[in-house]
Amino acid sequence: MNDDTNPLMMLIWILPIVLFVFYGQRIQLYVTSGEIKKAIKKLDGFKDESRIELIDYVNKNLKLDNDPTKKIDKFLEYFTIMPVDMDPNGIVDKVRHTVRMREDYTLEHIKLLSPQINNLELTKVQTLLEIASSLQMIHKIVNHMFLTAKKQNNYPLILPLQMILPFIMEQAKAMSKSIPAFKIGQPVGDGIGPMVVGKMMLNCDKERIAFQTVLAKTEFDGRKLFLIKAEGPGSTVGRPAEALEKIVSDSNIDAIIMVDAALKMEGEDSASIACGFGAAIGGIGTERFQIEEIATHKNIPVFSIVVKQSVTEAITLMTKPIAEKSDDVTSQIYEMIQENTTSGQSLVIIGVGNTSGVPQ
Amino acid sequence: MIFSKEKIIIAYTIEKCSKCDIQNKREFIDGDCLFTESSKCSSCDGITVIEKIFGEELDS
Repeated sequence: MNDDTNPLMMLIWILPIVLFVFYGQRIQLYVTSGEIKKAIKKLDGFKDESRIELIDYVNKNLKLDNDPTKKIDKFLEYFTIMPVDMDPNGIVDKVRHTVRMREDYTLEHIKLLSPQINNLELTKVQTLLEIASSLQMIHKIVNHMFLTAKKQNNYPLILPLQMILPFIMEQAKAMSKSIPAFKIGQPVGDGIGPMVVGKMMLNCDKERIAFQTVLAKTEFDGRKLFLIKAEGPGSTVGRPAEALEKIVSDSNIDAIIMVDAALKMEGEDSASIACGFGAAIGGIGTERFQIEEIATHKNIPVFSIVVKQSVTEAITLMTKPIAEKSDDVTSQIYEMIQENTTSGQSLVIIGVGNTSGVPQ
Repeated sequence: MIFSKEKIIIAYTIEKCSKCDIQNKREFIDGDCLFTESSKCSSCDGITVIEKIFGEELDS
């Protein structure tokens, strides 16, 4: 009797097949659960660390009379309900209103915690608060998706989570790693735009043109330059669209140049510079919409220079290759001005990004 | 991932003398801020200005 006709061997073959047919999904669920549980544990750690770092920072730097823990925990639980988009007409204004309302509320309540707080500390606490609340939200959502799938014993429900988890973990890890830079007030990768424009602003008269946004006027090769960036060295991105709107209402602008950090694609070199067209600005999209509206309405060409970087590089301490590209970016701006405008024309140059640790 | 090690990043400050253009790299000190005056130049009587602040991986 050879192996093919041996009933025991047949059973050994058939049993796993039967097992996998009926319990395959459940087995996969258990295997995947292990990986996801580990990730959730990490997310829980990031969430707790960021909360502790925030409370420590507030206690050390704001010199409060009362323990702020309760108030901070309340802040961390705040949520934002985005406007209904069934009728997209006017949605951008609604989103802008909701986001600004949250920003203003947070700033006001940090001020209430410590009325003597200066702008630099205010923006730092605001950023740390945003990081902690984002990490809390990420943990909550991932945990919810995992527990729902487990409760229902539903493997397909866990699949999207398993697929997206590496990206979520990359973002969460980057956010967690960004805390020291924001606490100390060091420049981050995203600050390359403000760093370049801030350097161009040195020795120029500066004025506040919009909330947490500064303007400096200078000249280059017969062209009038309006330089805009967020007001440093606090951790803020300012309101460049509002600033642009004010400039355009007072002066004739012939071109807009935006300098920003951009997420690199896999395989692309970090700190590589690329030039292009259109408004280079990230975020929720309201600033970009407003800039595009102004440019379209006034028929102003928009040029962009971006410095490519990863998610982690963008929000952690600026790396050496990125910092070393600042002079190259400046030369490219001047080159772009000469190529696209003529003497006597006016341009707006916007340094887009978080200006933490970058004054002007 | 078993063999991946957490990299140690050290923050550095680059100072540049506004008079003789000599650059000096030193470790970042709390309070360092871009474009601000930092110290006296070691090779002339000029004042150095902080030109860059960045992080570099620690050589192992």
